[in-house]
Amino acid sequence: MRGAWRDALTGVRQRRGRAVLTATGIALAAAMLATATVVAYGLHTGFDRSARAADLPDVIARFDEQPLTRVESRISALPGIATTTFRYEVTNIRIAGRGHVSNHGTVEVIAPGRRGFAILAGRGLGKSYGEVLVEQGLARSWGLHPGSTLYMQALGSVRVVGISESPDNVAFPLAVPRVYISRETSEAHFGHEADPDVNTAELWLKDPARLDEVLVQARATSYEIRGLRFVTQAGVKILLDEAAGIVIALLVALSAIALLTASVMLASSARAEVQRRLVGIGLRRALGATRAHVTLAQALEALAVGVPASVVGVLTGALLARGPTDRLLAVLNEVPPGGALFLPLLGCFALTTAIPLIASAWPVWRACARPPIALITGLELRSGSARGSQGGKRALRLPRPRGALGLGSRLVTARRVRLVSTLTVLGTSVAFILLMLALASELGELASNPATLGKRYQLTAALPASRASDVRRLGGVAAAAPRYEVQALDSFSLGETVDLIGYPGDHTVFEAPTLASGRRLRGAHETEVGLGLAQVLGLSVGSTLAVQLPSGREARFRVAGIVNSLQHDGRVAYVSAAGLLAGEPSASEQIAIRLHPNASQAAVSDELRALGARPAATSAAVGTSQALISALTAILRVVAIVNGLVCLYALMQALALTARERRGTIGVLRACGAGAGAVRIVLAGAAATVVLPAAVAGVVLERLALGPALGQLAAGYASLALAAGAGEIVIVLAGLALFAAIAVLWVGRLTSAEPIVGALQG
Amino acid sequence: MTKRVGTGRTVRHILTAVDIRVEEGELVAVLGRSGSGKSTLLHLLGALDRPDAGEIVVGGERLTGRSERTLARIRLRRIGFVFQSFQLVAECSGEENVLLPTRLPGAPRGGTRRARALIEELGVSPVADHSPHELSGGEQQRFAIARALVNDPVLVLADEPTGNLDTSAAADVLRLLREMTGRGRAVVMVTHEREIAAAADRVLEMANGRLA
Repeated sequence: MRGAWRDALTGVRQRRGRAVLTATGIALAAAMLATATVVAYGLHTGFDRSARAADLPDVIARFDEQPLTRVESRISALPGIATTTFRYEVTNIRIAGRGHVSNHGTVEVIAPGRRGFAILAGRGLGKSYGEVLVEQGLARSWGLHPGSTLYMQALGSVRVVGISESPDNVAFPLAVPRVYISRETSEAHFGHEADPDVNTAELWLKDPARLDEVLVQARATSYEIRGLRFVTQAGVKILLDEAAGIVIALLVALSAIALLTASVMLASSARAEVQRRLVGIGLRRALGATRAHVTLAQALEALAVGVPASVVGVLTGALLARGPTDRLLAVLNEVPPGGALFLPLLGCFALTTAIPLIASAWPVWRACARPPIALITGLELRSGSARGSQGGKRALRLPRPRGALGLGSRLVTARRVRLVSTLTVLGTSVAFILLMLALASELGELASNPATLGKRYQLTAALPASRASDVRRLGGVAAAAPRYEVQALDSFSLGETVDLIGYPGDHTVFEAPTLASGRRLRGAHETEVGLGLAQVLGLSVGSTLAVQLPSGREARFRVAGIVNSLQHDGRVAYVSAAGLLAGEPSASEQIAIRLHPNASQAAVSDELRALGARPAATSAAVGTSQALISALTAILRVVAIVNGLVCLYALMQALALTARERRGTIGVLRACGAGAGAVRIVLAGAAATVVLPAAVAGVVLERLALGPALGQLAAGYASLALAAGAGEIVIVLAGLALFAAIAVLWVGRLTSAEPIVGALQG
Repeated sequence: MTKRVGTGRTVRHILTAVDIRVEEGELVAVLGRSGSGKSTLLHLLGALDRPDAGEIVVGGERLTGRSERTLARIRLRRIGFVFQSFQLVAECSGEENVLLPTRLPGAPRGGTRRARALIEELGVSPVADHSPHELSGGEQQRFAIARALVNDPVLVLADEPTGNLDTSAAADVLRLLREMTGRGRAVVMVTHEREIAAAADRVLEMANGRLA
């Protein structure tokens, strides 16, 4: 063992330059893998981790304000309730502090007991007057910390004693600013009430698996409690995943691709290194070294290079990805994974150490099975030498590239395994970078373009349905109709929410998500459901959608068609207005307005105001989520940059190994009069041979396979266009050309700096 | 000219005050044992290395003090090399190896014509499209000689050109080297074999970095 260690360390010292190159490759692969892991793990586990940290209740019941005793008596009659706490939530409160102000603050008056949120800094509310807890998004945005002072409408100055976080909603500024005060503070200002009003109850169940039974019971016993709505933990998770779900799924897929790319890159690098050293291995075998000793020395050398490189790579990747990931999690009100990342990162380290270790040791082990003389005479490297000398029969020769460029091409194609592995790495990386760029574009579209959700109306106006005809008469308006929307629950799975959307006529004039199957709805008892809803509830054309409406009534619709919709993860159902209003007469209504192609949205908005309406531009999937989008974009950029560096490394590695192995050939060329420029042309030929097919393969792979497959994986409930566009392809190809030029210049400089005599002797 | 390696106490003199003049049409053999400095002399004459002191002129062009780019141009147009181990590029056929110098930037025009004529003249046209590993040692060295001559150099430098050949093939190569001088070229050949050196017009013996 000691001898093997000595041999291994000597090997590293003797091949210092090569060890640095290999270590760089391992570090890059580890960085790529760690980046993907940090992002995917952080987002994928964020909600569950945060729910545990915050002790999020199993059910949050919201209702119109009621005396506490009335609600308490109903809930105490429910079976399986472990704990209940009550809150009184007041909205649209003016809050100001540290130069910021908001008129839409939400104040939650909380009672002692289980809280349903985590304290990130400071402490919980005491019994003193004037203490307040602020939600972390608000604290971050406004620069608040324990000890800061806030001004609150009706309460005056209050002191921040702690920073809270709860994943039941996204953070400020995506959501309204949220603060908590104690009932003592409320009573000190507004006076003591023996039976205070509440409008929110948080319920922790003894057995969360029996949630559906509890909800059925709760609905049955909720008479006199108006406006009752339940939000379950699963429901909250669905709502939050609506924004980030696509990206989370894609990044999980990214981890798999990163692992594949890293494996191919590391294995090919290690194999090439062993191939180069077969003669030395043969010599050691000839001198009496055992097969185990030679293999062990090789494995230890791989470890000596791989372990530090892998550590550096994993740490770098984790640090690179941590900032954007934590920002994104904070926006989602979720806790960063922190120490929980240790095991996944340890896995990254183990993989990026084990792959080169196995890829180095295994070929050595196999090579050692051959007679030493076969290794010394280089039979492995010249396996093709018998090709042209079989009984005078000559193999068919294809036209071969000529000149210095052609020579470079031939040098690089002479090592076919390496060429294939380099092409694999580059092709996959090109495809992956294209995918990231396409995803970024798609996110931008989802964020800003309602048409991506199938919405064809540009404005809505808060007006009664009877005013639709007035709106239709306005200049620039192509169509206007009342739009009704209500959130319902599936009758058989109460945790599943459904957005029911109704129009009095043909809804495709205003919203036309593409049909995946079936046909458009034709009557009051038919519906078109989103693919996401169909998947969750197992609906198909001809089956029945049964929903519980907020009014407490149940409505049933026959599924006429299934549509591709990204809205609410595809959990939508289009019905006729008559069918919707029959079950829910108080459904929220507004006028949906479709404009003529050249009409001015601002001008129409002005006319709507003149009619007394409040116009609003149609929002896209995450229309107000700029912070979320920018955090996601930052993550995509980090991943794309790391992947770009992998491309650069793969190119440099391919060229450097080729130049190193063929230094004799390049030496002859230089002796024949090739200057530095001619050497660069040879290397450019080699680079072009790798880059051009890889670029084509990458584009084809992304457009035909990865884009559609990941689009389907990310949003099976809709058609998500993740095929890269011309602009993105041009950017990636230009980047690849730039990297190729850098690699050619760098390797060319090293090659030309070597004395010709040394190269000829090498 | 003088050539040293190392510095300070580890300095070694490879060539010491070597003065050599080779005329057009002359075949000069440099004879010496291994380590005598004869290959280094060849490298300096061929602008593959730079002397520490002294001056080298090839065909009226001074090599000392010139840039790498200029030296590359001089090697391309004025100097041809023949190596002991042939140094043919494995991925190219015999003919393509000969054509290599003609396709480098700055090579004189008419390279393809000259290459085909040389291959014909050296008697290897039947195997011109064979890869090096399909050729005998003698055939490989003929292609290597053709490659050295293809840009019509004024000076041909041959480093142990018969070292890897049998007696018959060696005799052929010596005859070819002799024929080269017939066209006004100077040929410098280094060897450690006295019988091979005897074929030259002039034999210079080298020992410990000095010409005798």
